[in-house]
Amino acid sequence: MNSLRIAWFFLLTAGAALAAGHDFYISAATNRNYVVGSVIVTVNGIFRHEANGEWTHIGNNDTSVLGVDFDPRDHGVFYAASINGCWRTLDAGKTWRCCTSWDMTEPMEVSVDPHAPDNVYLALPDGIAVSPDRGQTWPRRENGLPDRGKYTQAIRVDRTQAGRVLAGCETGIYLTENGAQSWRRVFPTQDVVTDLQQSPADPKLWLAATQSAGALISRDGGLTWAVMAGTPTDKTIYNITFDGSNPARFALCGWTIGVMTSEDSGATWTERNAGLPGKKAGFRMPCDPPPHSVWRVGVNPDTGRLYASVVGEALYASDDFGRTWKSLGLEGSAVNRFIFLPHAGN
Amino acid sequence: MKFFPACLLLVLAATTAVRAQPSFSATTVPSREIVTDAAVRRAAYLKRVQEVIDYRANLVNRADPGGIDLAAVATMLARHEDPKFCSEQVIRLMKAPGTGPFWMFPVVCVTYMGRDQLSPEAKKAMRDMWRTTYQIRGDTENHWAMYYISLYLISEMYPHEPASSWFTGKSSEENLAESREYIIHWMDLATTVGQGEFNPVHYIGEYACPLMFLASWAKDPAMKTRGHMMLEWIFADLAEGTLNGVPVGSHARTTDESVIEPSNSLAAYFSWLLFGNVPPPTGFGGWGIYFAPAAANYEVPEVLYRIAMDRDHDFLQQDLKRTRRRWRYSDVLFAPIYKTTYMRHDYAVGSFQGGMSDPIQTHVWDVTWAVPNPRAQHNVMFSMQPESSARSMQTYFTGYPEPMIGGAVNLAKPSYDSPDKLLGGSPYEQVFQDLDTIVALYDIPPGTRFPQVNGFFSKDLTHLTEDPSGWIFAQGGNAYLAYRPLAPYEWTQSHWAQAAIRDSRLQSDSLKNGTILQVASTSEFKNFAAFKAAIVALPLEFKLEPTPTVKMRTLRGKNVVVTYGAAPVVDGQPLDYTKWKLFEGPYLNAEKGSRKLTMTYGHLQRVLDFNTVKITDSVLP
Repeated sequence: MNSLRIAWFFLLTAGAALAAGHDFYISAATNRNYVVGSVIVTVNGIFRHEANGEWTHIGNNDTSVLGVDFDPRDHGVFYAASINGCWRTLDAGKTWRCCTSWDMTEPMEVSVDPHAPDNVYLALPDGIAVSPDRGQTWPRRENGLPDRGKYTQAIRVDRTQAGRVLAGCETGIYLTENGAQSWRRVFPTQDVVTDLQQSPADPKLWLAATQSAGALISRDGGLTWAVMAGTPTDKTIYNITFDGSNPARFALCGWTIGVMTSEDSGATWTERNAGLPGKKAGFRMPCDPPPHSVWRVGVNPDTGRLYASVVGEALYASDDFGRTWKSLGLEGSAVNRFIFLPHAGN
Repeated sequence: MKFFPACLLLVLAATTAVRAQPSFSATTVPSREIVTDAAVRRAAYLKRVQEVIDYRANLVNRADPGGIDLAAVATMLARHEDPKFCSEQVIRLMKAPGTGPFWMFPVVCVTYMGRDQLSPEAKKAMRDMWRTTYQIRGDTENHWAMYYISLYLISEMYPHEPASSWFTGKSSEENLAESREYIIHWMDLATTVGQGEFNPVHYIGEYACPLMFLASWAKDPAMKTRGHMMLEWIFADLAEGTLNGVPVGSHARTTDESVIEPSNSLAAYFSWLLFGNVPPPTGFGGWGIYFAPAAANYEVPEVLYRIAMDRDHDFLQQDLKRTRRRWRYSDVLFAPIYKTTYMRHDYAVGSFQGGMSDPIQTHVWDVTWAVPNPRAQHNVMFSMQPESSARSMQTYFTGYPEPMIGGAVNLAKPSYDSPDKLLGGSPYEQVFQDLDTIVALYDIPPGTRFPQVNGFFSKDLTHLTEDPSGWIFAQGGNAYLAYRPLAPYEWTQSHWAQAAIRDSRLQSDSLKNGTILQVASTSEFKNFAAFKAAIVALPLEFKLEPTPTVKMRTLRGKNVVVTYGAAPVVDGQPLDYTKWKLFEGPYLNAEKGSRKLTMTYGHLQRVLDFNTVKITDSVLP
């Protein structure tokens, strides 16, 4: 394990460390002022939260890691979607390989089939690729997707059935039940579906976030979807998440949306931005992010702690599901994924 | 979209200094006489190359190593100057390595220039960097050209090394194969359906430098030849698309400064270096310096030289290019760009058909007039719609829509979200060109962020006249210009280039809008009044509602009907873009899909054939 310790991560308190049940990982970047070509003075990529509150850098020092997934048989096998392609480590981060080639770029999500872990699904801006061999090869699997409109931002394998996968594309939500041999559209959209999540409690219950169709809910394993009233349709919802400790609690976030939560299984939604950074005092540049813009929310399934990565600010946490917040540091960072991985053997 | 190219951060310290840059500081301008003696031309080229090398190497202040970058080291190595000091600097620089293509190709330059000079420790520091430091590939065609050519050359230099010794986690052979495959794929695309970042005023160095390295240092003879051919393909486009060394007409990628002052550009630097027909920009354009250490390996062919130099004969060139890759909101991955350039002794008019080529830094059309000394001259006239849209950005970039505009503004595209900008294309602009007539029509939907048309009127215009007929007349150099706004307007300014403070901006706020431009040489008319009378006498009808339409006779006698959203009609015949060739004109010709460019000047002919990977020179009967 690459054990680079990062001083600015010390701010996470020991009290926030996870109880038994899950390991906590994030993919994060501190991109402030970073542009192609410049020296990366920060440490980015995948980090594991340790019991003492510190973060261990797993790798790769890549400013653009978005999606991350693990092989359930071996938690030392990670896949990371970043601008260069899909990176894979087989040795818990000691070595990494960009296992895609020039013909695949900027994947946004990667998902391992828990029942067939050699099969790895990759969401690409021009479609979907599926590796049948732990990332050695990446054939395209796009039968049933439209020729155009298959920009894919979200992909998630149904944990109850090998080869059953939902994909969030520019033109809607697509479903395969045969390992991506064929896809069919189950919900049309005008813009990108940005996130797909399966309930930890009820595998038939799914949530989706979209750019312009609000937040969606499915109670039949993704076959049919309904818009959840009260969720924004005029702004992009960046992600949506379940609370693994309380099946009725959902959270979502986005640019100028901030954080919204539901505690009644999506029937009603409440803005939860009090306590998050508001409008900055003093002069604002036009390019400064507006207040209440959040990259990502996640919920610790062991404690119910709600996390929010606030654009241009820091990582915030709430132990009362958004009613109050406190900063956990990681200033200037963008947390792209919160990953709660069951302890090996659980 | 968080990863814009970082020219501003990495531009060399050299860009602000003029010390020991005689071609820049000279009060005289280069002669445009054609040099017929090949040996004299070659000597002059090498002299210019040496000036660049000397300029950068002489800026080195050994008391301030912090100011010594890879360009300084590369040029010192080109002079075989103090390898020990160069080695020390390399070791220092590798302790804080950069990332990505803008860092990779300078490292490759130093690696190859220093392979017989640098210390083993310095070479090891660079080799280790390729193992320890993540290199981002980027998201743009120029990024990938730099990235893969660099990875190709460095993998070829260190063959048979294991995956653990490279940041990619792939072995030397795997890196080499992937790089080779992409490079050939890219060249194949460019030579069949056109270049993506076509005629890049600002980014030409990002292609020319790595291609020069590939042509110089690739061990594989076929890749070496491919590098040479693609480099020359780009230079052929440069030669054809410049008026006395100054880029004209439409371009995929330019800047706020270059769009109004085209001689202040990297393209002009390469014109100066290759052809000697224009003064270079200050600091040799920054990135241009990296071309110099390897430049002696390139010989400018006479046919190319003459195409660039001869502006005594009018010519019409029509080329096929392609847009940036479209991820979303489009029926096609690449859309065709139909580019027209009409070149004359006194001016050039150039355009493409409008619409979005690239969401940032596009220049769609202009007239550029010739001037004796182009330095600080704003010798262009054009109009544009200042598009700023997250949806347009989303079409071409991955990621969420909301941060995209701020990201562009924040990262080296400062004018993007400004209504008074002069740089950029628009989905609501359609352009027709016939010789030296332009009809640009605009149909801007309500709710568009900046619902206006900006027209650029240079400080260097003379005799600017708002005629009662509705035409605005002016003279630029030896060109008479007639600009007809089709909707009410007011005069104001733009502030996006510091140099623009004395220019004027025409702003027209009508959603249905248009511009007509007609140009002629002063020698064609008895005087300015005669030109104005000729323009006013031409039949012209137009309406803006419900759809902008112009019906007119051009100064050259063509009867044209141009309607927004419809194919233009010339003398009763609809314009058929499907017949457009890859290159068509008196000098450059290529069929679509051919992978073969024929350059012709007089009896001289040179063919770049990517099918056979051969360059063939011949003298026609």
